[in-house]
Amino acid sequence: MSNSSHANANTPILHAEGLSKEVVSGERRLIILQALDIEVQAGESVAILGQSGAGKSTLLGLLAGLDAPSGGRLAMFGQSLGDLDEDGRAGLRAGRVGFVFQNFQLLPTLTALENVLMPLELTAVRDADRLARRWLERVGLGERLDHLPKQLSGGEQQRVALARAFVTGAELVFADEPTGNLDPVTGERIIDTLFELNHEAGTTLVLVTHDHALARRCDRCLQLTDGHLVEMMRDEVGA
Amino acid sequence: MTGSARLWGLSWRGLKRDMRAGDVRALFLALALAVAASTMIGFFLDRLDRGLTRQAGQLLGGDVVLEQSRPFDAALRETLESAGLTLSDQVDMVSMVSQDDAFQSVSLKAVDDAYPHYGVSRIARGDEVAEVASGPARGDVWIAPRLAMLLDAGVGDSLRVGSAELRVDGVIEREADPSAGFGNFNPRLMMHVDDLPATGLVQEGSRIEYELLAAGSAEAVASVAPVLARLRGEGVEVQDVREDRPRLGSALERADRYLSLAGLAAVLLAGVAVAMATRRYVERHLDTAALLRCFGASQRDLVGLFALQLLWLALAASLVGALVGLAGQALLLALLGAVMPIDLPPPGLLPLGMGIFTALAVLAGFAGPTLLRLRRVSALKVLRRELDPLPASAWIVVVMAAAVFGGLLWLYSGDGLLALGLLLGGMIALVVLWGLGSVLLRLLARLCRRLPHETGSPDNPWRALRMGGQQLARRHNASLGQLLAFAAALFAMAMIALVRGDLLNAWQAQLPEDTPNHFAINIQPGERDAFEAALNETADAHSALYPMVRGRITAIEGQSPQDVVPQEARGDNALRRELNLTWSDEVPTGNRLVAGEWFTASSTDSSGWMSAVDARKVAPISLESGLAERLGLGVGDTLTFSVGSETVKGRITSLRDLDWDSFRPNFYVIFPPGVLEEFGHSYITAFHLDTAERGVLLGLVEDFPAVTLLDVESILSRVREVLDQVTRAVELVLVLVLLAGISVLYAALVASMPVRAHEAGLLRVFGAGNRLLARVQGAEFALLGLASGLLAALLAELAAAGIYLTWLDLAPRWHLGLWLGLPLVGILLVGVIGQLLSRGLRRQAPMASLGLLGET
Repeated sequence: MSNSSHANANTPILHAEGLSKEVVSGERRLIILQALDIEVQAGESVAILGQSGAGKSTLLGLLAGLDAPSGGRLAMFGQSLGDLDEDGRAGLRAGRVGFVFQNFQLLPTLTALENVLMPLELTAVRDADRLARRWLERVGLGERLDHLPKQLSGGEQQRVALARAFVTGAELVFADEPTGNLDPVTGERIIDTLFELNHEAGTTLVLVTHDHALARRCDRCLQLTDGHLVEMMRDEVGA
Repeated sequence: MTGSARLWGLSWRGLKRDMRAGDVRALFLALALAVAASTMIGFFLDRLDRGLTRQAGQLLGGDVVLEQSRPFDAALRETLESAGLTLSDQVDMVSMVSQDDAFQSVSLKAVDDAYPHYGVSRIARGDEVAEVASGPARGDVWIAPRLAMLLDAGVGDSLRVGSAELRVDGVIEREADPSAGFGNFNPRLMMHVDDLPATGLVQEGSRIEYELLAAGSAEAVASVAPVLARLRGEGVEVQDVREDRPRLGSALERADRYLSLAGLAAVLLAGVAVAMATRRYVERHLDTAALLRCFGASQRDLVGLFALQLLWLALAASLVGALVGLAGQALLLALLGAVMPIDLPPPGLLPLGMGIFTALAVLAGFAGPTLLRLRRVSALKVLRRELDPLPASAWIVVVMAAAVFGGLLWLYSGDGLLALGLLLGGMIALVVLWGLGSVLLRLLARLCRRLPHETGSPDNPWRALRMGGQQLARRHNASLGQLLAFAAALFAMAMIALVRGDLLNAWQAQLPEDTPNHFAINIQPGERDAFEAALNETADAHSALYPMVRGRITAIEGQSPQDVVPQEARGDNALRRELNLTWSDEVPTGNRLVAGEWFTASSTDSSGWMSAVDARKVAPISLESGLAERLGLGVGDTLTFSVGSETVKGRITSLRDLDWDSFRPNFYVIFPPGVLEEFGHSYITAFHLDTAERGVLLGLVEDFPAVTLLDVESILSRVREVLDQVTRAVELVLVLVLLAGISVLYAALVASMPVRAHEAGLLRVFGAGNRLLARVQGAEFALLGLASGLLAALLAELAAAGIYLTWLDLAPRWHLGLWLGLPLVGILLVGVIGQLLSRGLRRQAPMASLGLLGET
């Protein structure tokens, strides 16, 4: 596992200044994100709201170090991502960052247990098997350990993904539309589980969603519109 | 992310989980088949080589046979023995033996207690036939059946050999070292070498050949190579089994080449299967790689992880393949039981190592460039699924695969030029095939579009064919890739089957039913016509009657042959013995001119063939090409022969290849008519008699008492036996190639399943039933099979012609059956495997099918 310096109490876990992202399509330059500033403290839960196509997922990708910005500065755990190449950024994430995706991203040939084991196997975690089982039991899938994703419902698959995100003891979890592929009831349960796990583990949570109900459960809400990010008061977040 | 130890563990666990995937199973199957083919053929050829060497040793009487006209000295014996060789002495001569008033000239062979080094003699004593692993005891002789007949002698009778009286202990059915006696036309008599002094036959000036037969390991023989070279230079005739294979050699060498070819075909097919399966493997792991990047894996980790995973797979497949190869070679050995000696050392490790190396090389060459695509996966793909890295360039994949396969070709064939030629030919063929395949696909699609459009009935077969054709056309590039893979598989399978058929036909043609099994020699000119008439009446077939004059080469270009020929040829038999010279106005059957021109009477004047002899009395002669090569001679060189007390000069005007396996009279030197007639001569011919007609022989012996008849049926049947057994071995190897071909079909279809599933899902969504889906998919597979069969037929026809001409030394011919058979086999194979694999897809709910494309 790569261990760069841990953020101290006063250092934000995520800090972006003037963050921008442009893509060039033929002769056209398309500005997706423009001079964004954002700071996320350890233990916070932050929702990024926006319409479809607003660039939420692009922003999440930048914040998680999955993509490089066109401009601006970004630091994670106090480490400037601009100083790191892609491998360096991957190393920074190892064991410290968890992900939950809209389409679950479970590997179809792996069982539920094996999917949860995957990030543990990348980091030198002792007793990985026991840990993975415990997390799957924690999300209510203790009886479905050996099931392949196709044998699980959408909600169950997302719970496996939740277990996978938290199993490494991640300090920071990114969630991309975690209920986007689920019906409202199942989605509600998943959100309950997500926040329970977040509180139990004291994890920092950054999620992007267009679901205002979900956003209201976060400590802070940011609205992404026309490439700009605006902080919203909780009561400004509509139903 | 990880230490290397953890990477090893992670890759192993990943592979275990991955074994559920079809592409990994296809990879495993292909690699195991590559190893099985290469180890089985490697083991087999290794043992066949030893078997042939042993058999050659048996025919020659030892691994090395030295021959000269005086006894061998003790220093040489000591040298050979200290190298680990065991020695046996033989003395050969022509002598007279008698019983009562009957006298007969015999080919006498005196052997010691160490005789024979290899094999056993079959000795008849009355009604019993014993296999004896020794020579005659002191005081005893063994005699050939012909001698027994000529002297009217039987077991227990006494024969006078020189001054000694020796008892007939048995009649020789087969000598342990039969080739030694074949060149001499007198009937065999074998005795113990210790009895020779009592016969008084060994005297000053006697024409005696002393043979020293040495047996031992290849290493021991190799260690005395310098000694053998020196002896050759001193005029000693040296026969080494590894260089001087027996007469069966050419047929078995073809089998050896065929098996190598089959092995390489299996390896190439496995490579294609690996390439197809790897493509799917990589596509399926793009998401895994992106996730691993998210979780902190570096590019290096990714490459290491997946490369190790495939390494584990290759090792596991190698293990299974090697076991199959070992079992296969044991089966081959069982099939070849009579050819292979039973006391061979166990299979060596080299073929096993070569097998594993082959698997790794195939994996690196055929999977490497595709695998590197995983390295370029962006972590962002977890959020944006369309962010797949570009596939490796098709040309990089092909060039890398070709380089590795070319290396393997070189390694296996030992012929860099051949490897390069095949490789370049293969690359050109690939480009041509790509173009032809593309045209063929478009043509099929266009034809399908013109089929009756809609008839209302969903069961209408045209509808399915039309839709199947459209699907192929829509996925033109993917279909073209599959088409080429199938064509390659069908091509290789067809070629191996085809060459096998022609090889067997050639063997059968080489030894047809009426192959001569008797030789008649000493036919006097006055008896020639009568004997020929008798043969016409009684024998099934016979060769021409050739005149034969004995002559010795005494000079080359006016100098002593020993001073002119290369050092290693100084002990050559042709220089040490009298040759059988003949004359003929036409090229004998089975001979082929390879240089110069055949002599013609018309080229000079009407005064006959003698006019071909120039003013200096130098006659044109035709020389056997092998002898010319050994002695360093060519067209234009002059030879001087001593014939009787005369000298005859000849200038080489042509060189001939001839088939020493033909069981027909063959001659090193042929003169034109009009040169040798003045010398005393007799005639020789070969003829075939069925076993049931052996009584005819007695009639011939009675009518032509001076003619000597030699029965070579036992040698002929031995050759046939070997060919039968090698044929069975060849068939077993063919099965492996077929399996490798099927692995390609399997891998290619597995690789295409997600796209097919997606299409099937869409069709289901739009209301297609299971039956229509099955028909559409069946039609698509059938069209693919048809097109690949046609392409394969074209390729096989061209390749077979090339291989026949360059490698197997057979004349090329058209195979019309290919053009019908291969498309049919293609339709059936691709159709059946495709339908079996896609059966599951048709059972899937459309949701699952549609999801499959993105998630697997």
